[in-house]
Amino acid sequence: MRDEQLHEGHGDAKDGEILALLKDLPVPPAADGFYGRALGRAVLEGRRRQRRRWIYSGFGAAVAAGLAAWVAIGVLWNVPNPGTPEAHIPGVTIALEQPRTVNLVFSSATPLDDASLTVNLPDGVELAGFPGQRVITWETSLKAGRNLLPLTLIAVSPAGGQLLARLEHDHRDRSFRLQIAVSEDPPGAS
Amino acid sequence: MSRADDRLIFERLLQPHLDRLYRLAWRLAGQKAEAEDLFQELLVKLFGKLDQLAAIEEPGPWLGRVMYNLFIDERRRFARQRLHTVGEGALSGDGLAGLPGPDDPAAEQDLAEKRERLGNALEQLSDEHRIVVLLHDAEGYKLNEIRDLTGTPVGTLKSRLHRARARLRDILESDGTFF
Repeated sequence: MRDEQLHEGHGDAKDGEILALLKDLPVPPAADGFYGRALGRAVLEGRRRQRRRWIYSGFGAAVAAGLAAWVAIGVLWNVPNPGTPEAHIPGVTIALEQPRTVNLVFSSATPLDDASLTVNLPDGVELAGFPGQRVITWETSLKAGRNLLPLTLIAVSPAGGQLLARLEHDHRDRSFRLQIAVSEDPPGAS
Repeated sequence: MSRADDRLIFERLLQPHLDRLYRLAWRLAGQKAEAEDLFQELLVKLFGKLDQLAAIEEPGPWLGRVMYNLFIDERRRFARQRLHTVGEGALSGDGLAGLPGPDDPAAEQDLAEKRERLGNALEQLSDEHRIVVLLHDAEGYKLNEIRDLTGTPVGTLKSRLHRARARLRDILESDGTFF
């Protein structure tokens, strides 16, 4: 039933005409073969997304845990910024579409409350849990001594590039760079 | 389940619902490209829910709900371009009286113009009003079916439908469709 009573007594000819027009308002049919193509694309894309979810899953991270690289970073405000171009930039090689945990170790002489850490990822490198995001920011506090930040990286393209981590605290900031190279060989193939 | 099997099962489960889902995508998105994107994205999402889909005895309402939720979640992506395409002098002033027969070219032209004006009037409604009037009056969904699709109480839907129809009439009267 079409709830015609909603017209509440003023369901005159004009309302009837509008209803008739609405009822006959056409939907253009799908193009020939559109459904078949759409189903095929859905299967391909669905499988690709399932694969990516698997890569990002805990299983993937667990596999990667044994492959962690360690990058030590000193948080000393009164020394030259190691993020400058002339400074040595540590590097890590990760395999395409294989998660790899990089442990950034921040060594701080003093506790740093309410610090902000921003990670800028190069194009084609993603952080597990943040698919498609190039910039991720955490509000955090560092204790005096060594502070560990594990980042599980996944290369989704072979380009690689530099990861930039920027730590800000009390109007001061330090930037740290990590050169990421991407190998298209599976782990252990070399 | 092998990869070939899951594709076959996916297609077999969805085939009976494709026309209805495509029409729903059109009604929600309002334009071909956006409707096709919405339809495609729904299928991708459903492939990831194949086990769930296979377990549902009558998947029609559930499929519609998944599409509606997808549309709402990504409304901006699937939003219609609110372009108004009425040309200068397009208004014939004939009113909506006398719907045409198929063999009358002048009447067909008149109907096409009225549909265009109705389409433009629909574009001026809010999404909530447009969707309820299209699903109810154009697609023939019952209010409880729209409630199941959108999660909106029937009382609210009745109110929206009433206001949407009144607004449509106001627009069509003010643009010269009605005298």
